[in-house]
Amino acid sequence: MTTLLISDLHLSPERPAVTRAFFAFLENQTDDVEALYILGDLFEAWIGDDDPAPLARQVIAALKKLSDSGVSLFFTHGNRDFMIGKQFARESGATLLPDHHLAELGGQRVLLLHGDTLCTGDADYQKFRRRYRHPLVKFLLRHLPLKKRQKMAVEWRQKSMRANANKSDNIMDVSEEAVAQLMAQYQVKLMIHGHTHRPYHHYMAYGERLVLGDWHQQGWYIRIEGNYPPELISFPIEEN
Amino acid sequence: MITLHTNYGDVSLELDFEKAPVSSANFLQYCRDGFYEGTVFHRVIDGFMIQGGGMTADMQNKPTRDPIQNEADNGLANETGTLAMARTNDPHSASSQFFINVADNTFLNHSGKNPQGWGYAVFARVTDGMDVVNKIKGVPTGRHGMHQDVPKDPVEIQKVTISDAYADK
Repeated sequence: MTTLLISDLHLSPERPAVTRAFFAFLENQTDDVEALYILGDLFEAWIGDDDPAPLARQVIAALKKLSDSGVSLFFTHGNRDFMIGKQFARESGATLLPDHHLAELGGQRVLLLHGDTLCTGDADYQKFRRRYRHPLVKFLLRHLPLKKRQKMAVEWRQKSMRANANKSDNIMDVSEEAVAQLMAQYQVKLMIHGHTHRPYHHYMAYGERLVLGDWHQQGWYIRIEGNYPPELISFPIEEN
Repeated sequence: MITLHTNYGDVSLELDFEKAPVSSANFLQYCRDGFYEGTVFHRVIDGFMIQGGGMTADMQNKPTRDPIQNEADNGLANETGTLAMARTNDPHSASSQFFINVADNTFLNHSGKNPQGWGYAVFARVTDGMDVVNKIKGVPTGRHGMHQDVPKDPVEIQKVTISDAYADK
């Protein structure tokens, strides 16, 4: 009766220790787990479900092994891996979730999301998001030649690492108003998200908000066991 | 008036027999039975609440009487300094455990007679010793087996005294 939630692993070929930690997590932490939710940015970049790269293939295989063993697997897009599609879902055994998903976990209604939609203060990003998440744009991106997309991803990852794009200082935090509004809209008292790389368990007048951390020197997950309150857990990631 | 004598000091409270008759009578009975003596505040979260009245210092559950009806629809709000009955996700599962709100926890209030909206029944208010509650809310906590937010050093209710004013209740 345990559910686990993770997000923001930003898996990439340049960070093999995190990939290893992820595979170890799937092997060791999922023993009496009935569901695993991945709330976005599993990958640093995703160029399309046809990506033959070893990382993509290995991750899909590991997820398939998990879902085959009876664990329900759910995936919400992040701002990095928004190109993940139906083929990935089929091959990994995952169910793709919408941007905002209402679930019942541990006997409570909870709103699950990646978290980038809460950063309403970042007008540029929200504009970018509206453009790039448009089905037509995604269709075009998907149909660029694979080699072109591979090149774009390498450049993107290099640029992103140089700019420390994954450091929490460079990611805008959520807007409290957006959080309150969304929780009222969905009538939930519990919200779980990632994206901001600011792991914390917030208690506010109108409810609780748990934020997952990104996987770097530590791995993060949320564990909801039976009817116990959800817990935010971290563990060290060995460099080698 | 009831006073909880803890290893951090005394906390005095007044029960609301008018708005929360069932919860107040239930709590008073546990006090009269000496039940709370030797129990700890086992779940302490600064900025939220401190919860206790059900486990011993070695985190064993004390056997309780039957659960009581949820009185959260009595109009009392989960404001700082109020006491409310703790429970599982079953709205009418409260027995001995209670918590003291250390913030205005609006989301714990009753909003409807359905599992999501039932809320937590406020039945008493701290009248003296909020400084003790504030000391307790800040203690270092950690995991203890299945439980999180457990004080590293037990916060124990050592003795409970009941004033004569409640003699006829």
